[in-house]
Amino acid sequence: MPGRPLSRRTTLGSALAAPLVLAACDIDPPSPDADPSGATPPPPEDSELVATVVAALVDAEAVLVAAGTAVPALYARLEPLIAAHAAHRELLAGAIPDAEQPTASPATVPPVAAGALRAVRRSEQQLLRTLRDGCLGAASGDLARVLASMAASTSQHAAALTAGVTS
Amino acid sequence: MTVLDALQTTLADEHAALYAYGVLGARTSQAAAPLLYDALTTAYRRHRSRRDQLRAMVTDAGGEPVAAAAAYDLDDPGQGVERIKAAALALEVDGVETLLALVAQSSGTVRAWALTETTWSATWQLELGGEPQTWPGAPELDRST
Repeated sequence: MPGRPLSRRTTLGSALAAPLVLAACDIDPPSPDADPSGATPPPPEDSELVATVVAALVDAEAVLVAAGTAVPALYARLEPLIAAHAAHRELLAGAIPDAEQPTASPATVPPVAAGALRAVRRSEQQLLRTLRDGCLGAASGDLARVLASMAASTSQHAAALTAGVTS
Repeated sequence: MTVLDALQTTLADEHAALYAYGVLGARTSQAAAPLLYDALTTAYRRHRSRRDQLRAMVTDAGGEPVAAAAAYDLDDPGQGVERIKAAALALEVDGVETLLALVAQSSGTVRAWALTETTWSATWQLELGGEPQTWPGAPELDRST
């Protein structure tokens, strides 16, 4: 299939290092300020967008950990989702190494399974909205692709959680 | 690659996916495997709608929608529920990869549509025996492999 075989390095590296060049592939015409050398620093809108998604991931992870702590029997079901969010956060945070590490918002989760799962579902829906907004707002097409894959992963995990399926 | 190129590539893949789903549906008994039959029917309808939408988007972008081939050279999925499910799952896995390329190449309403379809195909994989992944459609991002 015609997917683009991007390496991990080229994907986010080029996404944040040469966003204006990548934007030339989009519908909108490229900015006249585009630097074809690819040395242009990331536009503020994408750096802030990445930081926003990282913060949302940190919050979502905190809710998951709180749910697993409040209801230990749930932890095995939540673990794949925690691991996915951590991998997503790690990749994005690596693209903005100078940014301050966000602190998770306090997460309060009921100590019963049904209530804890409701809190997780709400948190995951919030994260999905942030990922979708980030994907649609990204100036870089490669960054949009990364965020779309994250949204797809989050949706898969949320569906598995609802169905009681664990990966 | 322009957004029109990406739309045409995605449309060509949708033609092939629809053909493949037709083959898989024809090999599935509604009476013997109702859940699989329903899953295939739902997916077929989604992909048919997706193809129609892609045709419209190609036209809107100033292109002539690529036509379907008369037939496609498919790997023989064989018989049996598990093999049919695996073949349908492979279609959705490939579809996510193609749609992600469209996400990267587009913006605005086209990107929003591609994102919605990406999420649907990724999530529908669970109905076909798939499991959640960390990087659906972008396995090169996975550090654990």
